[in-house]
Amino acid sequence: MERGDFLPFLLLLPVMLVVFFVMFLPLVYGIVISLFDYHMGDLDFGRDFVGLGNYIRMMQDKVFWKSTVNTLYFTAGAIAGDLFFGTLVSVWIQSLNERIRPIIRPIVTIPLLVSPIIIGLIWKYMFNINGGMVYWILSWFGLGAEQFPGLAGSATAMLCAIIAHWWQVIPFVVIVLSSGLVSIPNDYYEAAEMDGASFIQKFFKISFPSLMPQYMVILLFNGVDAIKVFDIIYALTGGGPNNSTMSLSLYAYKNAFDHFDMGYAMAISNATMLISFLVFGIVFVRYNAKARKEGIKG
Amino acid sequence: MKKKTRTRILQIIFGVVVFVIAILPVYMIVSSSLKPTLLIRKMPPEFVFEPTWTHYLKIFKQGNFLSYFKNSLIVAVTSTAVSILIGSLAAYGLAIMKSDWANRITGFLTFSKLLPAITIMIPLYVMLDKVQLLGGFVGVILSHIAINAPFTTWLVLGFIQDLPQDLFEAAKLDGCTRMKIFWRVVFPLLSPAIGSAVLLSLQYSWNELMFAMQFTSMKSYTLTVGVSRFVGAISVDWGQSSAAATVVMLPIILVGFFLQKYLVSGLTAGAVKG
Repeated sequence: MERGDFLPFLLLLPVMLVVFFVMFLPLVYGIVISLFDYHMGDLDFGRDFVGLGNYIRMMQDKVFWKSTVNTLYFTAGAIAGDLFFGTLVSVWIQSLNERIRPIIRPIVTIPLLVSPIIIGLIWKYMFNINGGMVYWILSWFGLGAEQFPGLAGSATAMLCAIIAHWWQVIPFVVIVLSSGLVSIPNDYYEAAEMDGASFIQKFFKISFPSLMPQYMVILLFNGVDAIKVFDIIYALTGGGPNNSTMSLSLYAYKNAFDHFDMGYAMAISNATMLISFLVFGIVFVRYNAKARKEGIKG
Repeated sequence: MKKKTRTRILQIIFGVVVFVIAILPVYMIVSSSLKPTLLIRKMPPEFVFEPTWTHYLKIFKQGNFLSYFKNSLIVAVTSTAVSILIGSLAAYGLAIMKSDWANRITGFLTFSKLLPAITIMIPLYVMLDKVQLLGGFVGVILSHIAINAPFTTWLVLGFIQDLPQDLFEAAKLDGCTRMKIFWRVVFPLLSPAIGSAVLLSLQYSWNELMFAMQFTSMKSYTLTVGVSRFVGAISVDWGQSSAAATVVMLPIILVGFFLQKYLVSGLTAGAVKG
């Protein structure tokens, strides 16, 4: 409307500057350097330029593909459990007396506040074969490290990481879903009860469809969060055994700071970004378009 | 009647399981930090024991945890304060912006959430190295601001848009400039949004590991970096690492507990709005 109205832009300037210098610039720089065989120190533009060499090397790198599969497996497992258990707990909280609910919530949300590196540490302790609580509980059923090798087994280590992630993120799901459940009018349930609907029917016919926007948010936020998983795995297994828990972020990190193979590390981290965009970009664009339609005014 | 009791019993059993799963891991770490080393790996766990402070004495006296704690405070408080200030100004800027740019910029800020931290962190490390800013607080504080300020903008914008338009009109009629409207009228009404933004930014910054691990050095290590060094060791000293973990998680759990209201409203804002 008003041309030359600079105040809004002036107010935005500090945030935009930070985003430019700390996000955008490194992003571009990372794309450029990924075209070089660069190991810290001075860069010789002529000698070190390898074009797509790092990306070709990546395509032939078995560990890269393993990390990709691991990351997607982790993301899928994490989200599936988050949604399933999160829904269960939210429905349970909703079924409670209104006087008990406010007492339960702060306790259930504790894991949300704990640092992911501590989550990794906690579960490393829980999954410890010597004196970890998980193995103590398994022993009640006659199970031990042979049946469930836990962090030491290539087949089970990622599952342990997924469980640790569930523990942290389900509280977020519960908070978001509970806020959705509260806003569903009680009449709907009462009407359904009159028609003799069972508990499960009520959930799938009433609660589930009304919670769609909440599920969308959870899918987006948790998905993005899971696909860049680093801290939990760093603490829990460090990527082992035999790279079975190596995630893309961790693999890029290791190339960068164990070998200082910066060009290659940036190629991997750019691939991580691309995968994140491919998997969640669509969800994000739909979510954003919907949000805009629902009246964020210009 | 019978069916009711059965549901009630199921409800209670489920509740106990949820409770135990939520609390027990935290309890185990806190109690291990107070147990003599021999008891830590004893299963079934002893719930009654004589607490010892040896592990804490070790990490504070021989380890550098006192300085890590101070560093974490510096990083978390500075990055949060700056994020809140510039983030809420930016949100107001977006709210009073009359052009299409407002939508585009909001979309762009949200889109930055899709960016994996590692993609930024590795090139940023090289850049900071070039300008010799590695090792101090600058790199880690800046990167935390880059995450928290756009988030604050987005959160506060939602709240500003919910304020009644009459408020702005009335203030305008009184002859307030737009900046005066912000400081006198809008900002005081934003306290719930600011509360959420403060808590969530503090929480992020206090708990963040990846940026902190590479951008700091011996003198500026934060708590999470201190803990990560325990975890990386070949044989983990569970007493000391439990004590360290407790020192990291207890303060933020307590803050979150008392600011529960803001935690919930901040997290659900995204689910209700865009």
